[in-house]
Amino acid sequence: MTALPSAGLIDLDYWVLAPVLAPALGALLVLVVDAIAPRARGLHLPIGLTSLGAGLGALPYSVASATPTRTLCTPGPEGRCFYETGPTGLTLQLIALAASLLVLLMLGPGTRHLDRMQRGGAAVTVALVLAATAGAAMVVAARDLPTWLVAIELATLPAVALVALSRGRGAEGGALSLLMVSLTSFALLAVGIGLWVLATGDASFSTDTLRVAFDYPERHRVLLLAILFLVAGLGFKLSAVPFHTWTPQAFVVADEPIAAYLATVSKAAAVGAAIVVLGPLVSLTAMGRDDADSIRLVVGVLAAASMTLGNVLALRMDDPLRLLAWSTIAQAGWVLAPLAMLTPSAVSASVAYLLVYVLGSLAVFGVTAAVHPRAEGAGGRSLAAYLGLARRSPLLAVVLGLGLLALAGLPPAVVGVVAKIAAIGPVVATGQWWLVAVLVVNIVLGIAVYLRWLLYAVRPAPADAPTTRGERLDPGLLIALLVISAALILLSLLPGLGLGLAR
Amino acid sequence: MTGPIAVAWALLVLVGGAPLILGAGLVSRRLASGLAQLLALVAAGLGVVAVMGAHGAYTLPVLRTAPPGASTYLPLFPARLATTSLVATIAATVLLVVLAVQVFAASYLDDDDRRPAFQATVSLFAGAMLLLVVSRDLVLTLVGWEVMGWCSYLLIGHWSRKAAARRAAYKAFLVTRLADAAFVIGIVALIAIAGSSDYGAVVQHADGSRATDVAMTALVIGVLGKSAQIPFQDWLIDAMEGPTPASALIHAATMVAAGTWVLTRLAAALHSATVASWVLACATAATMSYAAFTAFLQTDVKRILAWSTISQVGVMLSPLAVAETAVDGQGAAAGHLFSHAIFKALLFLTVGWLAVLAGSTAARDLSGVGATSIFATAVWGLGLVSLAGVPFTVGGLSKEHVIAVAAWTDGDGPGLRQGMVTAALLVTVAMTAAYATRAFLIVARPRTVPGAEAGPAPRTGLLARATLVALAVATLAGGLVFLVSPLDPGHLDLPLLGVSVVLIATGVLVGLRLRPDDAADPAPLMTRASRGWGADAAYVAVVAKPVLALARVVAYVDREIIESYVRAPGWVVSLGGRTGVRAHAPERVSTDLLWVVLGLLVMAGVALWG
Repeated sequence: MTALPSAGLIDLDYWVLAPVLAPALGALLVLVVDAIAPRARGLHLPIGLTSLGAGLGALPYSVASATPTRTLCTPGPEGRCFYETGPTGLTLQLIALAASLLVLLMLGPGTRHLDRMQRGGAAVTVALVLAATAGAAMVVAARDLPTWLVAIELATLPAVALVALSRGRGAEGGALSLLMVSLTSFALLAVGIGLWVLATGDASFSTDTLRVAFDYPERHRVLLLAILFLVAGLGFKLSAVPFHTWTPQAFVVADEPIAAYLATVSKAAAVGAAIVVLGPLVSLTAMGRDDADSIRLVVGVLAAASMTLGNVLALRMDDPLRLLAWSTIAQAGWVLAPLAMLTPSAVSASVAYLLVYVLGSLAVFGVTAAVHPRAEGAGGRSLAAYLGLARRSPLLAVVLGLGLLALAGLPPAVVGVVAKIAAIGPVVATGQWWLVAVLVVNIVLGIAVYLRWLLYAVRPAPADAPTTRGERLDPGLLIALLVISAALILLSLLPGLGLGLAR
Repeated sequence: MTGPIAVAWALLVLVGGAPLILGAGLVSRRLASGLAQLLALVAAGLGVVAVMGAHGAYTLPVLRTAPPGASTYLPLFPARLATTSLVATIAATVLLVVLAVQVFAASYLDDDDRRPAFQATVSLFAGAMLLLVVSRDLVLTLVGWEVMGWCSYLLIGHWSRKAAARRAAYKAFLVTRLADAAFVIGIVALIAIAGSSDYGAVVQHADGSRATDVAMTALVIGVLGKSAQIPFQDWLIDAMEGPTPASALIHAATMVAAGTWVLTRLAAALHSATVASWVLACATAATMSYAAFTAFLQTDVKRILAWSTISQVGVMLSPLAVAETAVDGQGAAAGHLFSHAIFKALLFLTVGWLAVLAGSTAARDLSGVGATSIFATAVWGLGLVSLAGVPFTVGGLSKEHVIAVAAWTDGDGPGLRQGMVTAALLVTVAMTAAYATRAFLIVARPRTVPGAEAGPAPRTGLLARATLVALAVATLAGGLVFLVSPLDPGHLDLPLLGVSVVLIATGVLVGLRLRPDDAADPAPLMTRASRGWGADAAYVAVVAKPVLALARVVAYVDREIIESYVRAPGWVVSLGGRTGVRAHAPERVSTDLLWVVLGLLVMAGVALWG
């Protein structure tokens, strides 16, 4: 542990905290600006982008300093730190901040555009996005149960509000479903935390207390139950089966960028939270103490059920957002499968998979954001609206292809293949062959899911289709799509880069 | 410049020239034609240099790009070109025939809009044959062999707007591919036995073991296919649908001779392989006499030549099957390959010329066409004299050599195999003289068909005429090569020479007496012979139909039985999806919570009792 400055009650390193502080301050600033100068509505989006950029800009500081990076430490030899990020945590923060930045770009370019999409005005939308992002950046670094719980709710509740404020028909219903499951999940998490404290006598995710608790059979039982509740609670955030039902309902009513936010930033927050919970177990496994077979089984079953049900149902969907919702559920299974193995390399494999999933999803959601508004009347929001896309708009078709192929794990999006291999690796290494079989089956199913969509895009439009307006893309969306494609292509050319980031 | 390097350059000129000719064709057809002739001339010049150059071997550098020490398989595949004076002589012959064909094609296909493509293919084809001739490596030989097969498909089907040409091209391709399968098996087996693809090593390891015998038999079957021997003979007849220069090339120096050359290189291995020798002996003995007989009954002059090629290739291959020593067989086969290349190129190019005069190659139309051009009649006659094997023409010398080798034994009297082949050779000599006489008379006798007037004089250029003259001279005096080159003149067996002179005379007499009236409708026998005695129908009935029937069975099994295993998961997934959609249809908060409760119960069950 680095030498702690003894002055003061608690040590504070603002640079280390910047990835969390910047979006949080940004959210405050947006609200303050809105209160002081209600007419200066053009400022909100730039403030949001800047604060996220600042958060991203502060990441290299933590990377360059000693790992793991700690702050908010109590003094003394018994001192504890409430904030700690290792390479995995930094990657997750990078994913959350960057994905959130790209979603804001998709929401752009101007306030009028934002107003048309979201009720409550640009200020509210931007502030909600920033607040949720701050939560997502915080949760991965939390090392004690209360901070963790607050952070994960900070990441969730603004997302509920974003869905509720969508202008889509039935937004309230979708938001209600999301709110209900959020509350339930909060309850489950709270119970889980209570049981954890009961079993370990400690309100932090500490390997030492966990090991002690495992040594007593009755405390062991309680601890297992605690982890079970925590995993169930996180299952909601991850939209893992059987806690997935809100996902299609919320995705359908939300606007494409908001759905993209739910699918990427919220997912990254949930994965971060899960890694924090399972972290002590992973450390125990690495030390040679392995008492977690039942946890491994539970999480493995969740992963298998998620990916199978998600893929099977995604195959039957005609609304692209519904399809993406089920695909999100399936991909949650893919992220969980290596994580369930509870080994250090499995954790980084899981994060690497998440990185690729987030990039692929952002690409596909970005294209839907560009296609759907123009397809009003011409088939509406259905896969049929993509007929002839390759002819009509080659750029969008290429981005869509890159995204879908990355999600399916097919070349030329090599990055998707690498992610799939990385995810299977730990499962094979641990010898969970039943799960390997499920993963292999789901590779096939996934290919069917995503190629089905891609086929629509490359097939010619029917001759009697009304010619859709060929208006230009919004600049923000265009930039976002170009950045995402560049990242996907770069990672396809240098797949080691993505794996290295997560390690 | 040593021989192998000259040959490597010629190879580069021909193969690299093919795309250049195509490219030039985009600019101007004349440019492409000029380029094709120029490249062929350069290659032929290099061929002559190779004959004069020293012996040696040359490893193709392009195949040596693997980093040193990176591979252990390269010694297996030395990729070597080598010339001995025999190799260089054959290579030069090939290149000269190619030059003749390119020059002739320039005028013959003057009004063909796809002439550049044709000449480019000829160039590539020639390169493939050259590679086959000069390679000292079975793998390179196979490359040349396969490229030639593909090019022959393109050349035969050159007039692809004609359905008959397309069918002929498919037929040639399919029939030779069928035999090629055996050829590839043979090559792979030989390489496996020797542990190297080098000819020297392969011959060294061929010790008459059963494995070698099987490999050589497979190889011989492949050769029979490419050389249009029984039972593969029929593709070559249909190949007459191609332009005449293509026929000249395929018949004279390349395609059909390729098999002879490969077996000549492997003569020692073949000599020790009994079954392979028997297969080759039976096939060639049957083919040469059968084809010579059929040639006599044709109603189309080009088809007479085609059947004569089949017969003569049989003659060419036969010494390899029966020679007392491998070297004897080698010399006789290579010698006949050389002389056949010359006189057959002359005959085909001349018949092309005559066909321009008469407007067709049917005997009826060509009848009496000689009156229009004394020159054409003269070269036609010279070619036929050589084909008939009149002593001291180039064809006569090499044929006598073949007969002598086939009949000669080392004191213990001719065996059954030798006796059979020698008898077939003698019969063939007589019948060859007969059909050559007929072919000459068709052209030279005064026209009897009423009404058909001679067409305008052909616009053949001076170069084409010079080509024919050069070939005619070579036909007469080509025998001199036997005196100065390694094409071993062999031992002329004087009694056998006498016998064959008598047989030739008999054949000529028969040809004169039994000459059918070309003006009249052909006799039923001739009609059947013109159709190759129904070989095409036999191919369809014996090979095509059973194969298609088998394919249908396989397709049925695949579709109805194996594929259902593939479709079943699809049904399962589809069914699961439908059920899942129904289960999620209500979208009510209460259902959501039900899922949660059930999920928690399952999880708890798995965790505590799993």
